[in-house]
Amino acid sequence: MKIAIAGKGGTGKTTIVGTLARVFARQGRQVLAIDADSNPNLALTLGLSREQTAALVPLPRTLLEERTDAAGAKTVVLRLSPDEIAQQFGVSTPDGVRMILMGKVDHAGAG
Amino acid sequence: MRHVIGALLEQESTVTVVDMEAGLEHLSRGTGRHVDTLIVTLEPYYKSLETARRCAELGREIGIPRIVAVANKTRDDEDRAAIQEFAARHGLTLIGEIPMDDRLRKADLAGRAPIDEIDSPAIEAIRSLVVSLNQPA
Repeated sequence: MKIAIAGKGGTGKTTIVGTLARVFARQGRQVLAIDADSNPNLALTLGLSREQTAALVPLPRTLLEERTDAAGAKTVVLRLSPDEIAQQFGVSTPDGVRMILMGKVDHAGAG
Repeated sequence: MRHVIGALLEQESTVTVVDMEAGLEHLSRGTGRHVDTLIVTLEPYYKSLETARRCAELGREIGIPRIVAVANKTRDDEDRAAIQEFAARHGLTLIGEIPMDDRLRKADLAGRAPIDEIDSPAIEAIRSLVVSLNQPA
């Protein structure tokens, strides 16, 4: 199941989705939680302490690379595979939910 | 960013959840196809309802197969009625209602995660959501 939750800021979606993630995890499912909100708050709901939350590393800006192929077409490529991203930047939380903090990812070399 | 979200959504976790903005900026027709369920949250006041309605519409445009709504922070029957009426009028499928629960505010201030609150009607409502979500679309 791949769930996106959205709504006006402050409507409680983070509380809902974070708690949902933990309930799924307690049911024995493997859960990946991605915080893609510009005001990231998911970590606390997932059970990380304030200190752990402050120490979270968002995905780096350079994760994407713009490449131009021989024909001159531009494509955007991820420098790491999704597995590597989850491994390197994912954080384990108390119920086993793996969390990724999106941060700002833009094209490398764009200045 | 959409490329990253798209790639992460292709990952083999059994459940992936993404917390995002109402404008669904991180999704596009490309990455959106990996999302099978969009939950929009509705609070009992106009701006929230309107935002949720637009968000659901965007979700449809992107092609997300299941779009559901959850009422949140309802205080009384009037709140519930207002949300139900809005949902019905705009074709939003309400799958749950989470009442305003002061325990969550207190837990937040104390640095406790919501799920550990005992006897919380809001947390119980969120647990019921899991049942609804587990039903096949």
